[in-house]
Amino acid sequence: MSQMQHSRKRVCYYYDSDIGNYYYGQGHPMKPHRIRMTHNLLLNYGLYRKMEIYRPHKATADEMTKFHSDEYIRFLRSIRPDNMTEYNKQMQRFNVGEDCPVFDGLYEFCQLSAGGSVAAAVKLNKQASEICINWGGGLHHAKKSEASGFCYVNDIVLGILELLKYHQRVLYIDIDVHHGDGVEEAFYTTDRVMTVSFHKYGEYFPGTGDLRDIGAGKGKYYAVNIPLRDGMDDDSYESIFVPIITKVMETFQPSAVVLQCGADSLTGDRLGCFNLTVKGHGKCVEFVKKYNLPFLMVGGGGYTIRNVSRCWTYETSVALGSEIANELPYNDYFEYFGPDFKLHISPSNMANQNTPEYLEKIKSRLFENLRMLPHAPGVQVQAIPEDGANVEDIEAEEKINPDERLPQRDIDKRIQHENEFSDSEDEGDGGRRDSRSYKGVRKRPRLDKNSENPDAEVKKEDESKPDVKTEIEKDEKTNTNNDENKKDGMSSA
Amino acid sequence: MPAEYHELHGNHENANLALGGLQDSNNMTANMYRVGDYVYFETSSGSPYQIRRIEELNKTPNGNVEAKVMCFFRRRDLPQTLIMLADKHQSGMDESLSSNNGSASSAGAASNGSSIGNNGSTSTGFGELTAKQRHQMKHRELFLSRQVETMPATHIRGKCCVTLLNETESFLSYLNKDDTFFYCLVFDPAQRTLLADKGEIRVGSRYQADNISSAPLTLAERETDRQDSKELETLIWTPRHSLTDRQIDTFLVISRSVGTFARALDCSSSVKQPSLHMSAAAASRDITLYNAMDTLHRLNYDIAEAMNSLVPNSGPVLCRDEMEEWSASEANLFEEALEKYGKEFSDIRNDFLPWKSLKNVIEYYYMWKTTDRYVQQKRVKAVEAESKLKQVYIPNYNNKAGASVQPTSGGGIIGQSTIIPIPNTNNPANGKQTSVSIINGSSNGDSALLLGGNNGKTCEGCQTSQSPQWYAWSTTAQVQCRLCQTCWSYWKKYGGLKVPSRMDEIDACERNRATTGPGSDDEGKSPGSGGPQRPHRCSVSTCGKEFKLKAHLSRHYASAHGMDFRAGNTVATASGGQSAGIGSHSAGIGTELELLKRNPELTIIPCNVNAGSPRPVMKTRSAFYLRTSALARAARRICANQIRSRHAARAPHQPINAAPLRHICSSPEFARQSPAELRVLARATRPRLRPRVADIASRLGNHPQPSQPGEWDWLQLTAPGQRKQPEHVSFPRPPKAPDGSLLYERVPNKSDIDGINVTPPIPPTLQVQPNLKRPRPQFDELNGTDGIMPITLPLSGPPPSKRPHHTTSRDVLPSPSGSVVNNSTGPSHSMPLNGRPHALQNVPMSRSNARKQVMSWMDAPDDLYFRATDQTKKARRNLSLIELRRAARKPWRKLANPQRTARPDDMVVILD
Repeated sequence: MSQMQHSRKRVCYYYDSDIGNYYYGQGHPMKPHRIRMTHNLLLNYGLYRKMEIYRPHKATADEMTKFHSDEYIRFLRSIRPDNMTEYNKQMQRFNVGEDCPVFDGLYEFCQLSAGGSVAAAVKLNKQASEICINWGGGLHHAKKSEASGFCYVNDIVLGILELLKYHQRVLYIDIDVHHGDGVEEAFYTTDRVMTVSFHKYGEYFPGTGDLRDIGAGKGKYYAVNIPLRDGMDDDSYESIFVPIITKVMETFQPSAVVLQCGADSLTGDRLGCFNLTVKGHGKCVEFVKKYNLPFLMVGGGGYTIRNVSRCWTYETSVALGSEIANELPYNDYFEYFGPDFKLHISPSNMANQNTPEYLEKIKSRLFENLRMLPHAPGVQVQAIPEDGANVEDIEAEEKINPDERLPQRDIDKRIQHENEFSDSEDEGDGGRRDSRSYKGVRKRPRLDKNSENPDAEVKKEDESKPDVKTEIEKDEKTNTNNDENKKDGMSSA
Repeated sequence: MPAEYHELHGNHENANLALGGLQDSNNMTANMYRVGDYVYFETSSGSPYQIRRIEELNKTPNGNVEAKVMCFFRRRDLPQTLIMLADKHQSGMDESLSSNNGSASSAGAASNGSSIGNNGSTSTGFGELTAKQRHQMKHRELFLSRQVETMPATHIRGKCCVTLLNETESFLSYLNKDDTFFYCLVFDPAQRTLLADKGEIRVGSRYQADNISSAPLTLAERETDRQDSKELETLIWTPRHSLTDRQIDTFLVISRSVGTFARALDCSSSVKQPSLHMSAAAASRDITLYNAMDTLHRLNYDIAEAMNSLVPNSGPVLCRDEMEEWSASEANLFEEALEKYGKEFSDIRNDFLPWKSLKNVIEYYYMWKTTDRYVQQKRVKAVEAESKLKQVYIPNYNNKAGASVQPTSGGGIIGQSTIIPIPNTNNPANGKQTSVSIINGSSNGDSALLLGGNNGKTCEGCQTSQSPQWYAWSTTAQVQCRLCQTCWSYWKKYGGLKVPSRMDEIDACERNRATTGPGSDDEGKSPGSGGPQRPHRCSVSTCGKEFKLKAHLSRHYASAHGMDFRAGNTVATASGGQSAGIGSHSAGIGTELELLKRNPELTIIPCNVNAGSPRPVMKTRSAFYLRTSALARAARRICANQIRSRHAARAPHQPINAAPLRHICSSPEFARQSPAELRVLARATRPRLRPRVADIASRLGNHPQPSQPGEWDWLQLTAPGQRKQPEHVSFPRPPKAPDGSLLYERVPNKSDIDGINVTPPIPPTLQVQPNLKRPRPQFDELNGTDGIMPITLPLSGPPPSKRPHHTTSRDVLPSPSGSVVNNSTGPSHSMPLNGRPHALQNVPMSRSNARKQVMSWMDAPDDLYFRATDQTKKARRNLSLIELRRAARKPWRKLANPQRTARPDDMVVILD
C-alpha cells in the first residue's frame, strides 16, 4: 500500500474562501471553519501548489432539486434567522431548528457545499481529473425533503447523480462514524449505486444502518451496512474495511467511487466514539485510491476541528501521493494544534468493543449478501454508453489539447478505462454468454495496454525523477497485477 | 469522605497525552471510569447492581463526583406484560437466526430490510442453548432506556460491557464472558413500552432520488447536458506550469518582503507594528501567501510579471486579514461583546460592531482564538469547567458486609425493636414492599418464624454448604434463603441465580397469570423501581394465600390471622447498611401488646413480614427512629446475662445467638406474665441508691473541726503565686491593649455560625431526565421495523440526537415519580465542623497513592466509618493501654509505630 503513495494523480480540489465564515451557532459542534483550517495547512505544507484549485460555483436551486424536493429547497432559500418565526410549521416538517439550526448564510453554505461536489463530479465525468476533493461536502444525512444531523443539502447524492450520467455503477463508501443514511436512503432502491457505510451502530445517531438493511426492490443487496461498536482502532478498522471493499469492488465493479471521509471516526472526537488515528483513517483513502477509478472525496462529520484538519490534510497528501512531514508548518491557526503541533495523533487507551470474532461474523454475513449480487449488473444496457465513451474521449482530448503536459500515460489510462464499456460491444458478437467468457474478452485489451506500458514509462521519465521511476514501474505492475488477480478471482467465483 | 479522585479534565489539548501516561498499573485502568463506560451501580445492598452508562462526570462543589448516567433495565425490572413482548421478540429473532431462508425479520413486520438467509452455523440461536443457558441468557439481556439520572460516583462497583446484540453473534459469546450484557430493545419507563432501537430507511418516491435511469446518458443526451463546466467552477491554481518549487518559494518570500515594506510605508500599520519583526510577522500571514499564489496564477505563472504586479504604481501591495485590519479598540469591543453575548456573533455585530460584516466578525473570532488573549480566557474557563471530568478513579469497594449472614446466625433477638420509617415523599419505593434489612447482621426474623432457623441451609443458587461468607437473599416476601459468595456476586451482577430456582417457578406462575389476566396492578408503576409484579402471599406458614393487591393481603392478615399488616411500611437498612444492629418488622406497634397475648412467640421474635424485595431500591436509607417496645425492654432485662448488652452494644456486628433467648422468653413462667407485669419487668430493676444532698451537707456540718490537723487544708485556695505553672499553656491570655483591656480575637457572630452549621447539605438529587423526545413525523412503517412496535408504541421514538450531550431546556425535566433524593447525612463524626484540613489528611483514610483532596467542610461529606479488620485489631492489641488511650483522645495524631499491614483503604468504608 505504501508503494501506492508514489503514484501521482491529477487531483482537483474545491474550496471557497468564504466557507470558513459560516457559523452554525453558539455551542454547535459543526464548524465549517475546519475546512479553512485544512486549506491553510494545505497551503503551508506546499500541497496547494500540487493540485488544481477550484472555487466552486454556487449550486442553483435547479441543481439541488435534482434530488431534493422543490418545496424543501424553496424553504431553505427563503428561511433566515430574522424570519424564522414565520416558518414554524415548515421548520418542523423539514426538521430544521434543533440539530440543524437556521443560521446566517445557510442557503449559501449549502450552495457552496453542493456546488463543489457537483462540479467535482462533472470534472470526473469529463475525465479531466482522477481524484476530486471537496472537503466542504460530505453532508450525508440530508434527506430528500428533510434536514438531519447538521446536513441540509445532500451534496453527495447530487454528485452521485451527476456521476450516474456517465457511469453505469457508482460506489459510495462512508467512513464517518455516523451512518450515511441520507445517501443510503436516496439510492435504496437502485442497483446502480452501492452504498457501503462503516459506522457506530446502537444507541447512536441516526439509528439506522443495521446489518440487515440491505436495500429494497431493485436495490436489494446494494446497500451494505457495517455496524460497529465503540472503540474501533486502526487495526480493527483495516481488518474489516479492506476485505469488504475488496469484495465489493470484485462483485459490484463500479466505474466511479465516492468516499465520504467524515473525520468524526477519529479518536477524541467530540461526538464520535471510535479510536482511529489520522493514519488509520487515511489508509482507507489510500486503499480506495489504489483501484484507479474516478474518485470523489468529500468531507463530512468531524467535531474536534484540529484533528479534522489534520486528517483531511493528510488525506489530501495521500490523494496526491506526496508525503508530508509530521511537523505541522506554521500557519494562521497554528496555535490550534498545540501542545504538540504534530500532524499525527495517537490513539487513546479506550477499550475496543469490537472483538475480532464480532468483526469476522459481520464480515462473513456481508460476504453472503454480496454473493447474492448478480454479476455485472445492468449489463444489458451497456451498449449505449459505449459510443458516448469514444466521443467523450475525443471531447476530452479537445479539452486538453492546449495543455501539452498531459502525459501519454493518462491517455492510456483512459483507454483502459474505456475497456470497461467496450465489452458490451463484444456482446453483439455473441461471444459472451457468462461471466467467465466475459472476463476473457476483457483481458485482451488489457494485454495491449501492458505492451503499451513501456511507452508510458518513457514519457514519464521526462517528468519524474529517475529514482522514483523504478518504483512507479513497480506500482504499475502491481496495479495491473492486482486488477487481473481480482478479475481472475472473480471469474472463478 | 468519598474516594479520592484522579481527575482528568476535558482539556482537549492534553487528553491524548494524559491518557497514555495513566496506564501505570492495571489496577489504575480498571478503576478508572470514563465517560462512556458501562458500570455497575449499587443502590441498595440487597438488590442486584444497576447497570448504567456514564454520560457525564461532574464534580460537585463539595468535592464529590456525580455521574450522569443512562439507565439500562434488567428483565426483572420490566413489567410482566413487556417481558412477554420481549420474549416474543427474542423467539422471533431466534427464528430469524436459525432459519436458512431469508424469512421475515424479527417480529415479522413487513420489512424490506428483513434479515437475510443465514446458514445457522455461524451463530447459536437461542433455541440451541440448554435450559440452564437459556436461564442465564435472560440475565444478560438488558433494555436500554433513554432515561438519564444522576448518581454519586462512589456507588460505582465495577465495569461491565453492554452491546447491542447483533444477529450474527452467538449467545454463548455473552455467556462465556463475565460482565457482558446485550440489549435489543429500548424500554420507555414513562410510557411502559418497548421498542426496537432501530431507525429505518424509508422507501417511497418521497425518499429516494427519482429519475435514476437504468443507464448512463447516451451521447446525444450528454451533448445536451451541461457543456460548460466553466460555469461550475473557477480555476484558482493549477500545477501545470513551468515554474519549479524553488521559484514559487522565492516568489512567496518576495511577496512577504514586499508586504513588510508596505507596512513600513503605511502609517496606520507602523503605529500598530512598531518593530520590523512585527511587520514581518504580519506580512507572513497566510493572506499574503494566498495573494501571491493568486497573482502567479493570474499572470500565467510568469514570475517577472507577477513581481511587477506586487509593486504597482500606487505602491507596494498590502494584504491584510481581519486580524490586522481590526484596531485595538475594535478588538477590545469584541472581547467585551464576547463576554456579554458569548459566541452569538450576529448579536455581537449588531450591538457592538455594526460597521463590520458578520463574516468579518467570525473570521476575526477564529483568528483571535490563536492569540494570547484567548489563551488567558481559556485558562479562566478551564478552571470554571473543572467540574466536568473526563474520567474518575474509584478504588475498589470493599464493603462486603452488605447483606451478609454470619454463619452462626439464627433468628436475631437483639433487635426487639420496631423501626418506624419516616415517610419520604421522594422515595419511589415508598408504599411498596421493599426492604433489605438485617437484624444485627443476621437474617430476618421472618425466616426464624417460618423455618425455625436456617442453620444448615445450603446455598439457594448452587446448593453448596461451604462458603467463606453467606448472604441473606430473598426475592419474594415469603421465602428466605441464603447464598454463597459466588452465587451472591452472580446475583448482584446479573440479577438472578445460576440455575432456575423455586423463585423462577413463582415467576413462571406469575407469567401464566399475566397471560390470562390483564395483570395491571397499581404497583411497580414507578419508573425508578418498576419491578416485576409479584403476588402478595400471606407469610403465615400454614396459610400462604396469594393476593393480587397488597391491600387485600393486609385485609387477609387482619381478618384471618389477627395481624396488622402495614402496607405502607418501608424499612431501610440502618445507617451504613451494616452498622447498627437493628431489626425491623412490619407488625404494627399499636397492636403489639395485643398480639403478644395471643401469640407470645410472635412478639418476642419480631417477625419481618416484608422481607427483602428483589426490586431495586434506589434509596438505601430513609430516616428512622428506633422505638423499643416494653416487651423488648423486658426481654433485655430477663435475658441480660445471655445478651450481655454492654458487650453487644460495643460490637454491633456480632450476631447474637437467639436460641437460648427464645427459650427463656418462651418459658412458661415468662409467657404467663400479663402486659402490666411485663411493663414492670421492662423497668430498670436496680435503681441506684444515692444519698440526698441535704444529708451529706448536714453530716459535713456535724464536724466543726477537722479530726486531724491539716485534714481540711485541701479545701483552702492556693495563692496564685504558689500555683504550679503548667508546662504548656493551652489558652494563653490574649495581649493587653494599652488601656489594660484584653484584645480578643473576633468571635464570629451567631448568624455566621448558624450559616456554617445549619447549611443543610444539598442532597445529590437523582434527576430523571427523559431524553429529548420531540415529535417527529410518523414514518411509514414499511421496512426495518419490528412487529412489536406497532403494538406497543404508537409513537415511534425519535432517533437520538446527533449531539448526545447537547442539553436544551426541555431536556431537564425531573420526573417527579422517578426522582429520588439520596438522603446524604449531615456532617459525620470524622468531619468535625471546625474541621482542620491537616486533621483530615492524617485520618487513616487517606490513600497513600492518591491525591490528597481538601474538602469543603461546609457541605456534608459522605458517611464513613472505620471498619476494624483483624489486622487492625491485632495491631491494637500490640499497643499499650496508655498509647491506646492517648490515640483515642487525639485520633488525628499519627501513631509512633503504626505497623499497618492492611492497606489503609481497606479500612475505610464509604457509605452514602
